Amino acid sequence: MSKKLFFLLSLVVLTAMLLASCGGGGEADCAQDDVFCVGLVTDVGEVDDKSFNQSAWEGVQQAEKDLGAVVNYVETKDAKDYAANIALFADKKYDVIVTVGFLMADATIEAAGKNPNIQFIGVDQWNDGSVANVTGLLFPEDKAGFLAGALAAMMSKTGTVAAVLGTDLVPPVVAFKEGYEAGAKYINPGINLISTYHPGGADVAFTDPEWGATTAKQAIDNGADVVFGAGGKTGNGAIIEVASHAGLLCIGVDSDQWETVPEAHPCLISSAMKLITPGVFDLVKLAKEGSKPAGLYFGATGLASFHDFESKVPQEVKDKLAEIDAGLQDGSVSTGYAP
Amino acid sequence: MMADTYSSLPNWKYFLRRYGVLTGLGLVVLMTTLYFYFRDPQITEAVLASTVRYSTPLVLGALCGLLGERAGVINIGIEGQMLMSAFVGFLVTAWTKSLWLGVVGGVLTGALMGLLLAFMSVTLKLDQIIGGTVINIIAIGLTGYFYQVGLAIDGKLKPIPLGPLANLPLVGKVFFDNPPITYAAIVLVFVVQYVLFYTKWGLRTRAVGEHPRAADTVGVDVYFMRYANVVLGGAIAGLAGAFLTLEAVGSFERVMTNGRGFIALAVMLFGKYTPLGAWGAALFFGLTSAIQTQVQFAGVDIPHQFIGMIPYVMTILVLAGFVGRTRVPAADGAPYEKE
Amino acid sequence: MSTGSVDPAVSKRSKGFLIKIWHAINIPLAAVVLALLIGAIILLVSGANPIQAYVALFRGAFGSMTALGRTLEKATPLVFSGLAVAFAFKAGLFNIGAQGQLLFGAMIAAAIGFGIDGLPSIIHVPLALLGGALAGALYGAIPGALKVYTGAHEVITTIMLNYIAINITDYLASGPLKDTSSGNVLARTPEIMASAKIPSIANIPLGFVLAILMSILIWWILSRTTLGFDIRTVGLNPNAARYAGIKVAFTIILTMVLSGALAGMGGAVETQGVVGRFQPGFNIGLGFDGITIALLGKTSPLGVIPAAILIGAMKAGASQMQFDAGVAKEIVDVIQALMLFFVAADVIVRKVFRIRAAGEEEKITLSTGWGQQ
Repeated sequence: MSKKLFFLLSLVVLTAMLLASCGGGGEADCAQDDVFCVGLVTDVGEVDDKSFNQSAWEGVQQAEKDLGAVVNYVETKDAKDYAANIALFADKKYDVIVTVGFLMADATIEAAGKNPNIQFIGVDQWNDGSVANVTGLLFPEDKAGFLAGALAAMMSKTGTVAAVLGTDLVPPVVAFKEGYEAGAKYINPGINLISTYHPGGADVAFTDPEWGATTAKQAIDNGADVVFGAGGKTGNGAIIEVASHAGLLCIGVDSDQWETVPEAHPCLISSAMKLITPGVFDLVKLAKEGSKPAGLYFGATGLASFHDFESKVPQEVKDKLAEIDAGLQDGSVSTGYAP
Repeated sequence: MMADTYSSLPNWKYFLRRYGVLTGLGLVVLMTTLYFYFRDPQITEAVLASTVRYSTPLVLGALCGLLGERAGVINIGIEGQMLMSAFVGFLVTAWTKSLWLGVVGGVLTGALMGLLLAFMSVTLKLDQIIGGTVINIIAIGLTGYFYQVGLAIDGKLKPIPLGPLANLPLVGKVFFDNPPITYAAIVLVFVVQYVLFYTKWGLRTRAVGEHPRAADTVGVDVYFMRYANVVLGGAIAGLAGAFLTLEAVGSFERVMTNGRGFIALAVMLFGKYTPLGAWGAALFFGLTSAIQTQVQFAGVDIPHQFIGMIPYVMTILVLAGFVGRTRVPAADGAPYEKE
Repeated sequence: MSTGSVDPAVSKRSKGFLIKIWHAINIPLAAVVLALLIGAIILLVSGANPIQAYVALFRGAFGSMTALGRTLEKATPLVFSGLAVAFAFKAGLFNIGAQGQLLFGAMIAAAIGFGIDGLPSIIHVPLALLGGALAGALYGAIPGALKVYTGAHEVITTIMLNYIAINITDYLASGPLKDTSSGNVLARTPEIMASAKIPSIANIPLGFVLAILMSILIWWILSRTTLGFDIRTVGLNPNAARYAGIKVAFTIILTMVLSGALAGMGGAVETQGVVGRFQPGFNIGLGFDGITIALLGKTSPLGVIPAAILIGAMKAGASQMQFDAGVAKEIVDVIQALMLFFVAADVIVRKVFRIRAAGEEEKITLSTGWGQQ
């Protein structure tokens, strides 16, 4: 009796699975011409990471709203799944596939070669333009970092500014750091710069807010009064820590962290932004219109608005930042960073 | 075992044999600290304050582990207990807007996770390593699955300077100007040390961990003692979790424990199953982390991976060189069958 | 073998073998069903459709030959790390360090793979594999020797050695062994030569075949050789082993060396069969999963194979599940933990499904290895 029951149960479960696996879902058919589908594959992490995956996904969501696109995402848990995750969308004949993160560059180019009718957008991915349906969306992070560094140096009273960073295994983080240091020195060559990378591996460097917070505190104890947090959740830990010390300032990274990290409002003077959301949306739109460029596409970077600090940032600081920004655009000011 | 060998020696010789290395190490640490303090008080204080902060979750985790193991229950689920408590503590605070209720929520969650471990290992007599592993994986899964973005808490537990003590040179800033859970951790070290070695409860706990059969014969309720200690330990791990979200970071992130529960295990073994020893070990870990950050601040140009390795290499060297064999409670890991 | 609980419905001829198989798999099977049921409840509570989610999970894991190939590809390193952990358990050693040993294996295999040119596959593939295994073996020897000669507990030393391995391999991949070809900004080694790659035949990764062969070899060593007897005796009771004239210290070091070699070979197979180079972050978690696999497989060298396929299938199918049903992948972790719980807590499973014990069941015990020497 008992064994029969057990057999029966397992049998029911298995047959139910097998039967159901034959039937398809009732979702939109992306192969049709009038259905525009956009898929997104995240780098290792989640679409709600308050960082670059989230920004890219918001760009895709904007395409859903403004362009009437059918959208979906898959989160990558294991870096070896990049190709398989892209294939999920390619097999369903999605029109545009957005892949996020420089690590996915190879997998994206390979998938683009196999699927010439699908447009690919690779966020943070360099390519040589040899595959026509891939566009690499790149950002000059060093310029945003440079502005952040200049702002930090001008706002610092102690002459010590800090940076708490993810890992140097990741090129954009290095670009932010080098830009930040160059910007601070551009304003004040004698400034005391203390910056540190997370000592762990690539797997934990962006998900260790406690380390970020403790390191920020140590920097503050060293005399720093402006802290730049650049490293996903690790950096978020750093800026939230600064927020708990009255009178100190912090600078966020990637998106306008005023929106994503409300805990940091007491100190968050600005963020060194790379405008991923509009960059992704623009490219999706171009793809829909059939005019997405091959090769590289440079998105915008810059400082986020000062929000509540608008009145506390002196006008001459704002003017100087505008001057530096113009200099960075026309090339008269150089960050000195070469990847 | 050790005590037996030495008990025939005169007191001071016994002391030297048993604690000589430790005393020597302590003296070296003290002299070095003073030397650096007189060279650069600010940086020395910064490093030592970081040390205490890094050590807090580690020593709490280690206390959790050693309570269980002294009673004969191995707990490799400290990581999961911390993570789950960090999550629930965060949720409670986000909903009730009260940090203190959050701490209570975290501690209760830890106790519940302890209860689960006790149920698995004492009542079901599961292999205890499996029990701990189950707790670890389930905590990662549940917290990751149910974490919602957008929840935020307002501020975190702030330091409470202890009157004039906080103004003492060196020790003031390091020990007497901390947030509440850090104080609680230090107090708990002494409380657990006292309870384990100078009270009836402690005697019974150790008896249950060494010779459950004998303890049972003289009327000690083995199951109750094991349950009680594992649940208490869980509550302490819960405090460590609350520390992470409500005192150190001020926010929750997926997998934010990042292996601290495993380091706590090392801390416990390193400290030879004594609370004071564990505290020393945790401070040692904290110090190496703080120093590696400071070395990066100073701009020393060696690959940070090598600096990041220092704590781990030192631990192995110290274990191999000084600490020697750790004596594990005899009945550790063995389920107890009543006759 | 006790036959006290044979179901009378089963004919006498098929007793023996079939019964034996049944008794080996009934609990795990029931555990899987229970875990999926509870997982379904969690999915329902959070507003997802469990049938849709599970169907997608199943399709993503076994729905096509490509899917099956990916499941086996995921299972391959898990078999190796599971074997490494299970093998050490037999000697009463808890090798948390499989992760570090695997990383070194993966790194050295990559170095041999890209560093030597002009070899035929028949030499290059095994050379890189052996290099990886040797690296893992040496790295595994460290905690073994430390335990024997200084008493340093292998649980702490292997945890520490894992962190050290991550740091060293990250350093090598971003420094001395970095791919310096133009256009590469990433911290990773160059791609290995085609002659060092382990191919798949008809979607079946040959690495998986190797994994199965190693499982059989380890099973044979443990159950049919003097060395295996020594290892198991040391694991059960080191003092008795000492009195019986077994060289306990030697056995412990050798066990760690072989365990490390298995993990290292797993890393090499991953480099040569899947990743094609060493890249930081690409081998994370494989060693830790080995603990789960060893436990699910009841620490039996043959048991780790189905355990690894099961977990591999869940890893492979998770993306499809998220794609079709929009379910967060973390649910897979929850289900895995529940499976582990039910496999271990066979008391509960027996109660629910009223499965009687087949005479003297071997209980899984690892924690005896915690502190004894």
